[in-house]
Amino acid sequence: MKANPNLDELLCSFMDGELSPRQRTEVQRMAARDQQVGRRLRQLQNCRTLFTALPQVEAPSDMMEQIKLSLERRTLLQEQPVAPRRSAGTLHLVFRKLVAAAAMFALLGVLGVVVYQIAAPVAGPESPPFATDTGRLQPIGPDWTAVPPTVVADAGFSGRLELRTASFASMDAFIRRAIENVALSDSTESGAAGDRRRYHIVGTRENINRLVASLSSAWQSAGAATLYVDRPGDAPGPVAVEAVTPDQTVSIIARNSTEASVEAAEAFAVMNDLARQTPGDEILAMIGEDTGSMLAFAGIPKPRMTKPDDPTNTTLASPQGKPNASLTIVLLDVE
Amino acid sequence: MYLRAASIHIDDSVLIQQSQAGDTTAMERLILKYQNRIHNVILKMCGNPDDAAELTQETFVKVIESIDKFKGRSSFYTWLFRIGVNLTLNHCQRSARTAPRSLDAEEPAPDGQTRQLLKEFLTDDRAVDPAVLAQSRELCALALQSLLQLEEPQRTVVVLRDIEGMTYAEIADVLNIEIGTVRSRLSRARSHLREVLEAMLT
Repeated sequence: MKANPNLDELLCSFMDGELSPRQRTEVQRMAARDQQVGRRLRQLQNCRTLFTALPQVEAPSDMMEQIKLSLERRTLLQEQPVAPRRSAGTLHLVFRKLVAAAAMFALLGVLGVVVYQIAAPVAGPESPPFATDTGRLQPIGPDWTAVPPTVVADAGFSGRLELRTASFASMDAFIRRAIENVALSDSTESGAAGDRRRYHIVGTRENINRLVASLSSAWQSAGAATLYVDRPGDAPGPVAVEAVTPDQTVSIIARNSTEASVEAAEAFAVMNDLARQTPGDEILAMIGEDTGSMLAFAGIPKPRMTKPDDPTNTTLASPQGKPNASLTIVLLDVE
Repeated sequence: MYLRAASIHIDDSVLIQQSQAGDTTAMERLILKYQNRIHNVILKMCGNPDDAAELTQETFVKVIESIDKFKGRSSFYTWLFRIGVNLTLNHCQRSARTAPRSLDAEEPAPDGQTRQLLKEFLTDDRAVDPAVLAQSRELCALALQSLLQLEEPQRTVVVLRDIEGMTYAEIADVLNIEIGTVRSRLSRARSHLREVLEAMLT
């Protein structure tokens, strides 16, 4: 007899005692009436007997001991505080990585600002810079920033160098000698007010720079040096370069336009500010000791958007003899 | 077939409560009560005595570790077998992946006497005496061999019903399936087993 799935399910349930009494009676009647059903029932019963009569196998005699040993092993393994230590170590590593990444991003951001300050293209001036020379010594009042900027012809450099020193007399004498040595006495006006001495020098960029260079040896005696570079035209407020060095001052004055000097001043201002804020004063020391590399970096010619008739479209400095720079040196007695 | 817990008269629920209270003796009694039956089922399912011993041991270790989580929603008996059957099925699946059985492997052909005994179990004109099986170790080996040729789901229901003697409801509880599924799966498994055994005679 071929297998009939529905009949087999019914007969299996009958064999296994899973039918209700009424269903059992029905199946018994059906098996008695239908010879094929009866034979299929015996087939299934005999086949099942082959498995129900299989001998039982007992568990190994040492099962209980093996279970206890296994439990002991697991307990010992669980007592090893590996996971917490690994967890703490992982957290520590993640924290260190995050701190390192944050520091890297901060450094990249600062460097990006510095590079942008130095190398970002700027629009050229719409018109040649207006220049006048008042040639008048301005009295130094309590408000230093109230002193109006002096603008010279050829839109050159205009700025103030503030030197704070505890050796006022010797420093003042040194500056006077330096002005005489570079032959700028005739174009220098000086005045004194309280604890301050002011020198207003007008000349070429080269002459002014020679003067600044000659002040290098006495620069160290100044407690603090700040250069204020006037912006061109009606732009508000000068650029203040704190802790400026002689090399930086020379580099700023030597630029071939007012805009270039202002941009160089801004770059040095950011660099010096960053150096002061960096712990350990390592960058500050590098800037102080640097005599060429950083100056060269700061002196990279900037790309400039120019027009064919742009008078600033030149890389040459102004000819000698024509005043294009004005520097006011203010010596402050801080003793 | 075993007579379940015939020799130990302490109720499971009492032993479980004592075990959950930290009584190791109660847990040992539970282990002693069920270790042979769980081992027998696992051995019939996996076919390897060493693996069966290890899986039985692992089953009771899991029971001990989880006894606090046993809430009594099902009987301890089906809970215990659910753990053992699941461990064994996972083991069988891993073994099938790592060492698949060769389809070309030749099984030893039954000798004349074994063949005659097997014919009696496949006859349809009279009922056989189960004691015949005890006389032939070879016939037992053939029966186990045919069992291992079933797919795991079919083999599991046959073992739980015909060897362990569970009811359909208990099988459904152990395997977490419907009783109707147990019924149809068991019927198909028995039909398949008969075909396998008949093929051994040809």
